[in-house]
Amino acid sequence: MIVKQAKSVEDALELLSHYGNCKIIAGGTDIIIQMNEKKVQPKVLIDISKVEELKKIEEDGDFIKIGSAVTYTDIIESSIFEGNLSGFKKACRLVGSPQIRNRGTIGGNIVNASPAADSVPPLIALGATIILESKNNIREVKVEDYFSHSETFGIREYEILTAIRFRKPKGVLTFAKLGLRKALAISRISIAALVELDKDNKVSFVRIASGSIGRYPMREHELEEFLQGKVFDDAVIDEAVKVLQGVMDVRLANRSSLPYKRRAVEAVLKEALGEVRK
Amino acid sequence: MKKRGRGIGLSFYGTGYGNGFPDVSNAWVRLLKDGKIGVYVGGAEVGQGAMTAFVQIAAEALGVPHDRVLLEIEDTLTTPDSGTAAATRQTYNTGNAIKIACENFKEKLKEVAKDILNLNSTAALEVKDGEVYLEIFPQKRVSLEKIADFLGGNILEAEGSFTAQTTKLDPETGQGAPYWPYTFSACGVELEVDTITGQVDILKAVLVQDVGRAVNPHLVEGQMDGGYAMALGYALFEDLNLKRGVMGNRKFSKYLIPTSMDVTELTKIIVEDPESTAPYGAKGIGEPVMIPVTPAILNAIYDATGVRITELPITPEKLAKAFSDFEKEG
Repeated sequence: MIVKQAKSVEDALELLSHYGNCKIIAGGTDIIIQMNEKKVQPKVLIDISKVEELKKIEEDGDFIKIGSAVTYTDIIESSIFEGNLSGFKKACRLVGSPQIRNRGTIGGNIVNASPAADSVPPLIALGATIILESKNNIREVKVEDYFSHSETFGIREYEILTAIRFRKPKGVLTFAKLGLRKALAISRISIAALVELDKDNKVSFVRIASGSIGRYPMREHELEEFLQGKVFDDAVIDEAVKVLQGVMDVRLANRSSLPYKRRAVEAVLKEALGEVRK
Repeated sequence: MKKRGRGIGLSFYGTGYGNGFPDVSNAWVRLLKDGKIGVYVGGAEVGQGAMTAFVQIAAEALGVPHDRVLLEIEDTLTTPDSGTAAATRQTYNTGNAIKIACENFKEKLKEVAKDILNLNSTAALEVKDGEVYLEIFPQKRVSLEKIADFLGGNILEAEGSFTAQTTKLDPETGQGAPYWPYTFSACGVELEVDTITGQVDILKAVLVQDVGRAVNPHLVEGQMDGGYAMALGYALFEDLNLKRGVMGNRKFSKYLIPTSMDVTELTKIIVEDPESTAPYGAKGIGEPVMIPVTPAILNAIYDATGVRITELPITPEKLAKAFSDFEKEG
């Protein structure tokens, strides 16, 4: 196996088109394990961890752009994700261990496409898009569609995910996760919510995404429709839990994990929605 | 819903092989050329601190600072059999063997010192601070270094052997003294249970350990921290997930152990009540430090929720199911 260190995105794309059977490596927290388990066996690894343009977090007017090789630690330590965006920071803080957060990247979390990826539900709730670059083309794809319609919007072997972009929200982004221990825990359930309330405490905008309650992280449209326009109080949140449990009963029918998850989701959804009011 | 509860667990544990099985530890002690003392035992250091405890016991018995004692362990070519580092027996059993060997060694030192000092007898000779001296006329003294010089190439060496006393249980009556000594422990925990998710959050924990005498209090505390963390894993996390003899959880991403975030700070209380048959009163605590923790956790869950758990580990999934069943039964 050959390892090539890319100096720039251009350089990385050139290498990618030059060699066959390539894989991109950034933090290596997923791909190294997959290589050890022989689940992937690339001939060439292209290392993008030293590409400066992929390691920046930038504010551009109403938008925030995160380079794909930005680590969880970079996000946790950035002052950009304070206040109404702190739910994103919380999601990144709950990833793995300090060692994994120091190495693992936001772009890697997306392309690894685990249903339990902690950073993905907040990005879906934010309506974020990802930028996929190839030698001759640039595509911008919604994170949500990347997972739900991967045959069309998934990454191609000649592409590199270079950045994640989203519009700064008016509402509050929150995140809650159920793991089986306090650190180094794979999410059994995760929920991210972006909620905007009007002066009458009614939900004027809502976008909710879940992790680990389906084959991939996804929007929870039924829950959003239920909450839209409702007064955001305890009774409505209790009802919202039942709506989501109803969705899970269909989506996870016959799964052995359903009885536990449909019970436990109450605590996770209540934590996520409860933090909107804080 | 989150509910709080408190629980205690108590245990007493017989250390050593027990039940009349011959439980023997041997030790050798030898005078080295530079007047330092070599201690040779086959007891293994497995992280429990045996090496430190052995040196401390030898230094105490010989009346020398610990840096005068050179310990050799584990090498079967150069050390006698001191039994396994198991059954919580090394400090008590091998500690006793070392103490006996050191006492025998001191008598041999006195014999040589008697000759060097032109005395008629070894009576009133004392071994202390690297010297042998006459208690009734302390000007008469000789250092261990001088004794080693005097001996030239001749080896001065003593042996010590300790066999623990236990009796087999009578198969008819069940009577006997299967273990000696016993070590006593107590644990108290205060925890919070999430009855929806089945997660258990330990808020406070205290572990009380009878040690006879703490040879090294820091090491005892280390053992207590370790035993507590291990018991926490046993109670709440560690699940092989055996199915038809096949381990389902074969890797640490599935076989969960507590992380440092899961292990609450533990209040540790050492109780010292010297055991008369032990070296300086010290009993073993390797296994006992773990035993009362899990019952304390289970009792606290019962106190918090009214649900009795009878299967370990109490993973969130199993606990949530137990609460769900409990709610249905009313």
